[in-house]
Amino acid sequence: MPTYRTASEEETVALGERLARVLPPHGLVLLTGNLGAGKTTLAKGIVSGLGAAPAEEVSSPTFTLIHEYGNGRVYHVDLYRLEEPRELATLGLDELFERDALVLIEWGERFGRFLPAERTEIRIRAVDHDEREIEVTQSL
Amino acid sequence: MRILGIESSCDETAAAVVEDGVTVLSSVVASQMSTHGKYGGVVPELASREHLRAIVPVVREALDLSGTKLEDLAAIAATVGPGLVGSLLVGLTYAKSLSFATGVPLIAVNHIEGHIHATVLEARRAGTPVEFPAVALVVSGGHTHLFELREGFEYRLLGRTRDDAAGEAFDKVAKLLGYSYPGGPVVDQLSPLGDAAAVRFTFAKMKGNALDFSFSGLKTAVLRWVESHDMQAEIAARRALLRENPSPTPEQWLAATPQRTLDLLASFQRAVIAELLTRAAAAAESIAARSLIVSGGVACNSGLRAAAKAAGLPYPVYFPSVGLSTDNAAMIAAAAFPKLARGDFASLDIAAQANLTLA
Repeated sequence: MPTYRTASEEETVALGERLARVLPPHGLVLLTGNLGAGKTTLAKGIVSGLGAAPAEEVSSPTFTLIHEYGNGRVYHVDLYRLEEPRELATLGLDELFERDALVLIEWGERFGRFLPAERTEIRIRAVDHDEREIEVTQSL
Repeated sequence: MRILGIESSCDETAAAVVEDGVTVLSSVVASQMSTHGKYGGVVPELASREHLRAIVPVVREALDLSGTKLEDLAAIAATVGPGLVGSLLVGLTYAKSLSFATGVPLIAVNHIEGHIHATVLEARRAGTPVEFPAVALVVSGGHTHLFELREGFEYRLLGRTRDDAAGEAFDKVAKLLGYSYPGGPVVDQLSPLGDAAAVRFTFAKMKGNALDFSFSGLKTAVLRWVESHDMQAEIAARRALLRENPSPTPEQWLAATPQRTLDLLASFQRAVIAELLTRAAAAAESIAARSLIVSGGVACNSGLRAAAKAAGLPYPVYFPSVGLSTDNAAMIAAAAFPKLARGDFASLDIAAQANLTLA
């Protein structure tokens, strides 16, 4: 899949809405990128593009770990606070992957080998103050 | 009349017994218990398994400390949401089993309403009850909400964060600078030593609801500032300190923090506080509130308390004590009292609701 560029938060949300239409209907999507790159912003667009919740209702799951939208059609997960694989095991993510749901995970690359190999990865990079480069790759 | 409260929505496993909605007879929080050894020294974190390990001894200790027998209870209250389903289930299921076994009625409580009641309870106990309508600012690691609160505990959502919670901003900025988790306490301790006017952080104007918060931009602004000020050596030194000693004293942190970083922390904290208080005051004005209630973990922040006092708002501002700011079960039992009076009981087939909203 190609690389995209956005020039503002609004454009990143809009790109997420467009990506929602081409992402697999279920399974793992890793959202990677530094602090402040715009992972939650892109997640807003994806959740809204899938019609699971309006973009403004999607907030950061850092503390709460898992947010669910659209009656279990989309899960937005954040592993930022997790230190060890042991903690990951207790979150019950395996159960989410078995469902017919899209599972968006922030900071998941730290636990890459404990997550399904079949995944989509969306890398977000801050190019300039508001500009972002967004690259989508799929692997089996 | 005594209510047993049980809370397990996130990291803490907690139980408490509260009498008549005002007197906290016991309040036990598993991650802060002095008797860690008794429970294997495990700090409950994230896991329903850890909640499972703690729930029985924690409830037993809350009952023992208050000298309460199960059959003396008027109700058993448990957090039903929002939170992690696996964690919520442990407390809720245990509450249901106790209710089923004893015939004591079950009351389901919203975690966010619990936070509001922590402050309401203490205001009543202090003889200065909250006057309605009130604005409630619930501010923690996971929540940043403004509610209108009317007589009879009716709620209306006035605003909320569009991205990060305020407590999360403290945590992420602290981690980025090499301090420990949670970040709120260390930033709060060091901030008074810095010049809060040194770094100017501005908030982007948001479209839509003027009472919504946003902290993501501030977090990114701190990151940019750090990247452009050659701070890698001091950050590495603090991380090294943390590796040697998981809980450094404020003096050790201070010794590892140059003045310029103290100024950054002070400026950051002031920006968070300004964002919280400006919108809370605007919310209060919009409903002609007669009081402002602050609750949740960030209510511990001494800078926020001082700024609220100094703001000269034309209505009283209520803060909970530190012990009732962070997650606890006394607030769950307190929130259950008005429901007990109304006969608002839950049936035993009630499910945990991860996304429960208050209004």
